[in-house]
Formats: sequence, structure tokens, C-alpha cells
Amino acid sequence: MRTPVAVVIAGKDLRQRFRDRSALVLGFAAPLAIAALMSLAFRGTEQFHFTAGVVNNDHGQMASAFGQVITSKEVKSVMATRSYDTEASARAALKHRSVSAVFVVPSGFSQSAAGAHPESIRVLTSIDLQLAGQVADSIAQSFVTQVNADRLSVATAVTAGASSGRIAELAASASTLRPPLDIVSRPSGSHSLKVISYYAPGMGIFFLLFAIGFTARGYFVERRNGTLERMSAAARPGQIILGKSLAVLVYGSASLGTMALVTSLLFGADWGGPLLATAVGIPMVLSVVALTALVIVLARSERQAEGMASIVTFGLALMGGNFVFLSTAPPLLRKLALFTPNGWALRAYLDLATGPHRWSTIALPVVAMLSFALAVSAITAILLRRSEVSLS
Amino acid sequence: MADNIPSGRGVRDPLLSCRGLVRRFGDQLAVDGVTFSVAAGETYGLLGPNGAGKSTCIRMICGLLAPDEGEVTVCGQRIDRNSVDAKARIGFVPQDVALYPDLTARENLRFFGRLYQLAGRSLDDRVNEVLGDVDLRDRADDRVDTYSGGMKRRLNIAGGLIHRPDLLVLDEPTVGVDPQSRHAILESVHRLGEMGMGVLYTTHYMEEAEQICDRVGIIDNGRLVAEGTRRELVAQLAERDHIKLTASGDLASLSQRCSELDGIEGSTVVDDRLDLIARDGRRLLPKVFELAEQCGVEVTSVEVVEPTLETVFLHLTGTELRE
Repeated sequence: MRTPVAVVIAGKDLRQRFRDRSALVLGFAAPLAIAALMSLAFRGTEQFHFTAGVVNNDHGQMASAFGQVITSKEVKSVMATRSYDTEASARAALKHRSVSAVFVVPSGFSQSAAGAHPESIRVLTSIDLQLAGQVADSIAQSFVTQVNADRLSVATAVTAGASSGRIAELAASASTLRPPLDIVSRPSGSHSLKVISYYAPGMGIFFLLFAIGFTARGYFVERRNGTLERMSAAARPGQIILGKSLAVLVYGSASLGTMALVTSLLFGADWGGPLLATAVGIPMVLSVVALTALVIVLARSERQAEGMASIVTFGLALMGGNFVFLSTAPPLLRKLALFTPNGWALRAYLDLATGPHRWSTIALPVVAMLSFALAVSAITAILLRRSEVSLS
Repeated sequence: MADNIPSGRGVRDPLLSCRGLVRRFGDQLAVDGVTFSVAAGETYGLLGPNGAGKSTCIRMICGLLAPDEGEVTVCGQRIDRNSVDAKARIGFVPQDVALYPDLTARENLRFFGRLYQLAGRSLDDRVNEVLGDVDLRDRADDRVDTYSGGMKRRLNIAGGLIHRPDLLVLDEPTVGVDPQSRHAILESVHRLGEMGMGVLYTTHYMEEAEQICDRVGIIDNGRLVAEGTRRELVAQLAERDHIKLTASGDLASLSQRCSELDGIEGSTVVDDRLDLIARDGRRLLPKVFELAEQCGVEVTSVEVVEPTLETVFLHLTGTELRE
């Protein structure tokens, strides 16, 4: 049986790639090592816990109900509380990081709860402790929101002449409220996120992007050495392009696959299972193949190819969230990530790691990545025609 | 040099046929209406200085570059970039060593063989055979980057032979090669011709063309200015002499004055030498010396020789063929 020429070319490229130590380091050793290091560095952050200060200037029934909520069993798993007599002393404690956030229950809070203009529970936060501040704020807002519905009925009753004893009923009802589970212990999805489940795909994809650089550079080396011309004397241009793309596809899949296997077995990373992980990985690798072709068409020399590939690799990694949790990134970065295939891949792996392992979980990211690959391929094809880039 | 090969622009049942090849790069006309053919068993030399258009012709013949006009056929099949079957009839040996340095000689040849659909036992056998032909069997499993320049050149040729092509195209295969390796390469090419393979050989070394080529095409400024066997080409200068005058002084003036002499058909200055193509050169020598004295040129040596391929080239192109 004849071996297709594209497969012959891919086989040769892979033989050279796997013989090249730098490619092995970039494709396999480095992502594993860095993911493991990051996982160790951030170990424990998935069991988030902090202490919040409480300043009760109200001492009424509603304040008491809030106190019961924030000391409930569910909240204790995330947050401990410490009481302060004055807001100034609580602020000092926040400044010295004795506490990570402060709840200030204003004077007249209980009374106002039944009125038309209810007071709010204020949350003092530190710019350095944003996550604790966000959680505290969410708990306070959740309490107020859930009380809100009952407040309207009480306000109506008081206006109609009912006794203030109805406030006691409202407080009793409020004290039974529990903050939503997703605020307390499960920030997203239905599982808690292990850090390695984010950084393993993050690093795997980041180092996969390096394939753009060494494949493009390899192309120009072949052109300089004349081997590309020699290949062209035996094969069609399309067969050569297909063969080189196939090599990137196999190399990229092997790199990501190894990363998934090793981090799953050794560090317990959750990639969403073999099928779903592959379904996310393949379109990501296809995007890398398309980007590689684009760099080859745009570059005119080995040096240019290296420069362009570096810009693409680090640009995508920064925009796509390979280095930082996108969920804690600024809104602009979260929006930019939507324009990157790695951003979508990471989103898919994150959803798989924190949510159900369903095809519907990855459908949108897969479509987005395939669309990206197609769009880049189309641009490459247009540029190829315009520039009349020759394979030799 | 064999003289029994059909001459002229049309050989019967040519292996390779180039008709009216034209190729431009922007405004520059690199190849201008080149037509020639090569028969099976014939070694055809494309002779010309650097930049004459030889490599562009080769690239069009091998399907690496599309001609703007004209066509190339090999064994009757038209060549273009996608004509894989027709291209498989050609073995291409590029000017530069085009090998993978991080692969062994065997791996390189296996790769090139598999590109031409060789596989399995027949591929292994052919690789061993070709390695033997270029005397590299002992080093077959060493990486190419450990090879000497001459060994790489030999392996480069082996890469073009691996699939038993009908036509071997060698683009200046001896550039930068030591004399021993050059001799080995020329021997190999001569042997291939004898075995019935058509060979297209480009070179700017006159002696190589004289030594191994059955016919020679002289290309200059993209045009094929003459073609034929050595005897046919030299016959164009029958009864003419080649006067080589080594001298110092204003050679340009002397050249100008000599060209006005009756019987002088060509006059070219190359460094400290004046080349004259003359009818009855010996008779003209006293007049040449007289003019030299008038121009203040001091002649240090003079040689009158029978025309050679070099003389023909000089006569046709007005330039000396050199690196």
C-alpha cells in the first residue's frame, strides 16, 4: 500500500522534531514542570478562608439575624468573624490585615428594614484582598436581597397600621436565610476547582503555542537548505503543506495529551475525561496549525518568522489567560480572551473541571475555536494568493 | 566527448523537450525563448556564466517554477508544479547540498525514496544500492552533519538517483568541491550516461562540459546562443585562431585598435589578457605587436591556439566563462 506523500513528509518532520531536544523540552518537559510548580505555589488557595470584622451599630433584631447568618455553619467554612465596637477599630484591623473585610451594620438598620428607605449593610474591603472583599460583599448583598421581598410586605403592613411586632417576624424569617451555596464554597460550577486543573491546560496550551515558532522557523530553514525545493521536485505544493500541518497536529496532540495524562495521574488534574479533553484539544491544535501557516505566509525570513511567532505566542497567552485566572482578571482581559482560541480552550477546560462533563459544556468553545481556525486559514489563503508565495 | 549523438534542436523521441521557455522576474527577463532537447543516454551540458539563466531553466524543467511562456515535457508528459507522475521521471540534484543534516544518510535516502512511492524491501535494497554507488555504505548510518563536503555532495547526487529517474538534472554539482570529489562526481555522471540515463548538466566550468557532455548548449543573458557537439561548435570557428596576449598597459585601447584590423573577428579584454579571434592569426601577429607598441602596451607572452569550446564561448558571448 502506498503511503500518502503528506504522511511521509509528516513522518520525517516528526522524526526530526522528536530528535530535537529543545522541541521535547518545550512540548513536554517544560509545561509539565511549570504546571507542577504553579500548582505547588498556589496549593491551598482552592480552600479559601478569611476573617471578617463585624461592627454592629444597630443591636436590633435584624442585625441579630444577620449575625446568625454570618456565623452559620455554611459560612464558617469560608469566613470567620470578629466583632469590633467601633468602625475605626475595625478599619485599623483591616489596615493591619487582622481581618480581610468588615461588615458595618448601621444604626437603625432593623427599624429601617420595615420602612420605605432601608439602610444597607456596608462592607469595607482592602484593595489587596479583593477576593475576600468580593465574598463579603456577596454575602451582605445576598442577605439584603433575600430580606427585600419580606421587607415590602412588612412595610405595607406597618403603613396599614400594623404593630411593629411584625418586624420581629421579619427578623425571625431573615435569621433562617442562608447565603447561596455558590457564594459560600463553590465560586463557579458544581465542583471546587483544583489549581492544577487550570494551570495544567494553561501551561500545556501556552507551550503548544511555541510550535508556531519552531515550525515556521523549520520551514525557512528547509527553504534555505534547499530541501524544500527538493521536496517540491517530487510532490505537489498542497501535499507539502498538508504534511507539515499534519506534523504540527500530531506533535501538538501528543504534547497536550501527555500533559493531560501525566497531570491527571500524578496531580489529580481534571481535564473532563479523555473524550471531552480531546474534543477541546483538537480544535486548539488546529488553531495552532492555522496560525503557523499564517506566520509562514507573512514572514519573509527565518528571523521574521521567529519574531512574529513570539508576538503571536506571548500575545495570545497573555490575552487568553494562560498565566492568570480569567475569572479574576479585569473585564477588558476577559473580553479579549473571547478573541483567542486558547482563551476558549481554557474556558472549556475550566468549565469541565468545575461543572458537569457534558458535550454541551464544550460546544460553544469548540465552535469558537474552529471558527478561529477557519478564519485564520481563509486569511492565509488570500494572502498566499496575493503574495504568490512559492514553496521554494 | 562523443560525437554520435543527434545534433540540432530536435532529437528524435527526446526524453526532455523544452520549447520556447520564457521567464521574467518583474521587469527582468531571466530566460528568453530557450529551446532544446535531451535524448535518452545523452549528457547535455548547459554552459553559461553565473546569472545566465541556467538555474531558472532547471527550476522550470523540474516543475519548481512555472514558465511565463513555453512548455517542458519529459517522456512526452508536460511538466508543471502539480504533475507528480511526470516529475517522478526526473531526478533533481540541486546546486547546494539539500539534505537533512540531523538525519543519517540512510534516513535521508529513505525519505526521498518514499516521496517517490518506493517502500518496503525495494526501498531498502535501492537505498543500499545507491549508497554503494556513491561509496557511502560504510557511513550510511551516520548523521549527515558529520560528513565531509565531498561526501555530502555525493549523497546529494544519490538523493536524485534513488527512484531510478529517466532524466538526471544536475545543477552545478561540482561547485566548491575538492578535485578528488569532482573527479568522482564526473565519473559517476559519465557512467550514468553510459547506462542509458539522460543527463542535463549545468556548469560554468568549460573543462567539465568538454569532458562529459555529448552536446552543449551555450546560454547567455537568458538566451541559448549556440548548441551542438563540441566538434560542431568549434567548427563554427573553422580556420580561425585564438590569440591569447598577456600584457600590461592600456589593453582597452589595444583591443579597440585590433578589432579594426582586417581578419580580426573578436577582441575581448579579460584582466591582463587580450583574447583575439582571428583568421590566419600567425599572419596578423606582427601587426598586433605594432599596435601594442603604439598603444604603449608591454606584451609579456603570446599564444596562438586552435579554437576550443572556450574560444567559441568567448566568440559568442564576448565574455570569458569564469566563477
